[in-house]
Amino acid sequence: MAKEVIRRAARDNRYLHKDFHGALSVGLEYIEHHFGEEAVREYLRQFARAFYAPLAADLKRRGLVALEEHFAQVYEEEGGDVRITLSEEELRIEVKACPAVAHMRQRGYPVARLFRETTKTVNQTICEGTPYTAELLDYDDQTGRSIQRFRRRAP
Amino acid sequence: MISCTEFIPAYSELFKFLDQKGGPKAVRDFWNYLSDRFLGNLRSAVAEHGLRGCWIYWNHTLNEEAADFTMELDEEAGLFRIDMHHCPSMGRLLALEHIEPYPDYCLHCDVLYRRVLEPLGFECEVDLSRCREAKCRLTVTRRASGPP
Repeated sequence: MAKEVIRRAARDNRYLHKDFHGALSVGLEYIEHHFGEEAVREYLRQFARAFYAPLAADLKRRGLVALEEHFAQVYEEEGGDVRITLSEEELRIEVKACPAVAHMRQRGYPVARLFRETTKTVNQTICEGTPYTAELLDYDDQTGRSIQRFRRRAP
Repeated sequence: MISCTEFIPAYSELFKFLDQKGGPKAVRDFWNYLSDRFLGNLRSAVAEHGLRGCWIYWNHTLNEEAADFTMELDEEAGLFRIDMHHCPSMGRLLALEHIEPYPDYCLHCDVLYRRVLEPLGFECEVDLSRCREAKCRLTVTRRASGPP
């Protein structure tokens, strides 16, 4: 058979490789197994402090609308079934099925026991040093269905 | 939720975290684990289709990753090659002004894929000499003697 060649430029495709959720999940599983449960949260805090620093700064500057815009974009990209409500008091995110967990379940990737921390710990870390708090009010490990709430810290 | 579009910095920070915990060996141990636990689709594609399995696997992943690449398959010559003109992973890391990539970030590709391909009877060579420009080359060749 003759040689086959494919040439692709970045602009030819949309950047959305959902299998990455599975790789992250394996990473969390590995950390928990080798370094313990708290190390998973430690890693996620370290990552969130570094990567979401601009988002945290935006949250301080513009308030909850910064998070609303961020999560609206995230769930739109991933095709999540989500309801986002912003009021003066709080930002509420109701996820009917987490696109990350749904993808992993569909592809047969292991879902780390502590995968919920990618929401809980990361959200809490984004709010560190800001006037806001993050709570994970509900989470279903099987589907990733969740209710997340951000609101102003009590004085 | 961490979006899959935010995974690459999460991955790089994971390597840093493991390095802090146990040095480069801890990072490499994780790469070996990830290869065994996560690359079953590459392993099964190559086990079933030979070199064409590489073509099938990377044709899927590199398109979803919106990579800038040339990929070639010459089954008669026993050669599969990817010339990465702009790696979507390293390219993203280099574009982030507030994140410094893990120093040996690109080495994970060499470790992960070699570990899958060599036991199946292939040589795997990854040229990372230009990885700080988000460029690299992966060459997979069929070993004349077959699997070890």
